[in-house]
Amino acid sequence: MFELMEFVVRGALLGVIYGLLAFPISLVFATTGSVDLAVGAYTVLAVAIAWSIGGGWGIVIAIAAAVLASAVVGLISMRLNRPGMFDHITAVLGTFGLATFLESFILTVYGKDPMARQVFETFWDVLGIRISPQALINVVICLLLLAGLYLLLYRTPFGRAMRASAINPLGASLNGIPVKTIWFCTYLVGGFLAGVAGVLVLYTTGADYSTGLSLTISGFGAAIIFGMNSPLRGFAGGLVTGLVQALSSGYLPGGWVTAAPMIFIFIVLALGPMNRISATGGRV
Amino acid sequence: MIGMFKRMRPAIILFVIIAALTPMIIGQPFWLDNSILVAIFSLMALSVGMAYGQAGILSVATAAFASIGAFATSIVTTQYGLSPLIGLLLAIALPMIVGYPMARAITRLSPMPLSIATLLLSMVLEVAIREGGDFTGGYIGLSGVPRLWFASSVEGMHVLSWAVVLIVLVLYINLTHSVIGRAVKTARHDPLRATADGVDVPRLLASYFALSAAVAGVAGWLYAHHLTYMGPDSLTIHVSIKTMLMTVIGGAQTFLGPIVGAAFLTLINLYLPASEAQGMIFGGMLVFVLLVAPRGMLGTDWLKLFSRRSKRNVPVSVKPERRAA
Repeated sequence: MFELMEFVVRGALLGVIYGLLAFPISLVFATTGSVDLAVGAYTVLAVAIAWSIGGGWGIVIAIAAAVLASAVVGLISMRLNRPGMFDHITAVLGTFGLATFLESFILTVYGKDPMARQVFETFWDVLGIRISPQALINVVICLLLLAGLYLLLYRTPFGRAMRASAINPLGASLNGIPVKTIWFCTYLVGGFLAGVAGVLVLYTTGADYSTGLSLTISGFGAAIIFGMNSPLRGFAGGLVTGLVQALSSGYLPGGWVTAAPMIFIFIVLALGPMNRISATGGRV
Repeated sequence: MIGMFKRMRPAIILFVIIAALTPMIIGQPFWLDNSILVAIFSLMALSVGMAYGQAGILSVATAAFASIGAFATSIVTTQYGLSPLIGLLLAIALPMIVGYPMARAITRLSPMPLSIATLLLSMVLEVAIREGGDFTGGYIGLSGVPRLWFASSVEGMHVLSWAVVLIVLVLYINLTHSVIGRAVKTARHDPLRATADGVDVPRLLASYFALSAAVAGVAGWLYAHHLTYMGPDSLTIHVSIKTMLMTVIGGAQTFLGPIVGAAFLTLINLYLPASEAQGMIFGGMLVFVLLVAPRGMLGTDWLKLFSRRSKRNVPVSVKPERRAA
């Protein structure tokens, strides 16, 4: 029972990062109708840069690099998603190509070694569970960002414009909202969040060049569990995903540790709200 | 009869090209080997062409299905000593058995979640292969897969693999021009319309997806018997993105496009440094092609592209054009 508690706490601490990653995915999906498969790649890019430069400036540059990468992806996706293109799915393929590009770039420049940093030597003992002070920092940063996003989305004119262009692009543009600019900003916000998540990953679990795809998948899983629309739901989904990952790493043998969360996400995909729109009616 | 010839033109063109090239490369193991690789990748690219070009399903599991086929035949031939023909049957059947329920569970709606599901499948499969112990050879892989007794020489393999490509191509063309092919096209562009026409869209798309998986499985069968080795690193997700690039470069919606793309990329690959930077080249190239000519080499109307006067066909749901800030 005690062991279980420990895994639950671990999972929740891991989950806050997935919650951060879930937000850009659901935001991009809600506004542009496509999935950004490169989110994990921005994260790893931020990890690599913060790891190689280090210090406060490293963190700033890392987040800036993630935002820059997301700006490139945003420009390309918008070009691929433009009216007259024959498919929505082309944009997804484009982001997948960019994810591959970034992964290979990180491998070439930073090599195969895992990148991780530990700042704190000491651990807190909370009811017998060892928790690094880093975990507290992660939770606080994630909650602050979440609160900020909530305020941005629901309490500012910009957020209103963002939601309007997600729900009804045509109506929004008729009301003078620059829909395309808003879409582009969506990608930038996503890149910023992925960059922050990357810095947190560096100081928590660490990453190597190939982590990008599984981070994207975890973020995606987090985003779809409770529906793709609200950042709060994405955050809760992140907690659940982290929990599943921690539990499977605790109780499953060997390589199945990585497979089990994916099977879980597949089940969510098949049963979840995304699959409820029928092929015939919902024109997604 | 004339219509039949016109319809089969891509297959005839391919047959003529292969017939012309074969005497030139006979006796040159290097080129024969590459030709077989092109044929194998052509099959995988055709599989992507079916799923992505025709049905609009973005599948990153092509290599995963191919590796199911390859491992099936490797396991039956090396561990049970059965005939490779039984391996072929399994290589066709198993990807379908995996693909159909997966697609059925997911394609109740748009292809978007299915593409994520294929990503999950290929990652889970890679884990399963590594964890398979002696059964799948684990990290070491299975070596000593026998060559095919009816195509034991390189020349024989060359003829066999291109014959398989031709057969698949002819069947694919036939299918595309049939009622089913038209229904798939309708379902891709407007599922509601297809349903109104009396098509069971989810079942149709799932079956079509399973069929494309089977084509990839056949490619895996050839792959295993050609290289005589199958390991966890043989057909990874990077192979999937490579085949996707081949298909997109050649033209996903055309019949010969995937084959042209496969030949083009395999030849380019000979001159690329085999290193970590390959992903950058492939990823960058994929994005570039999507931006410049998303319909690929054979699918783009080049004349139209260069004469800017002709108006692009713009669907009704256009947002008003705005200048990007």
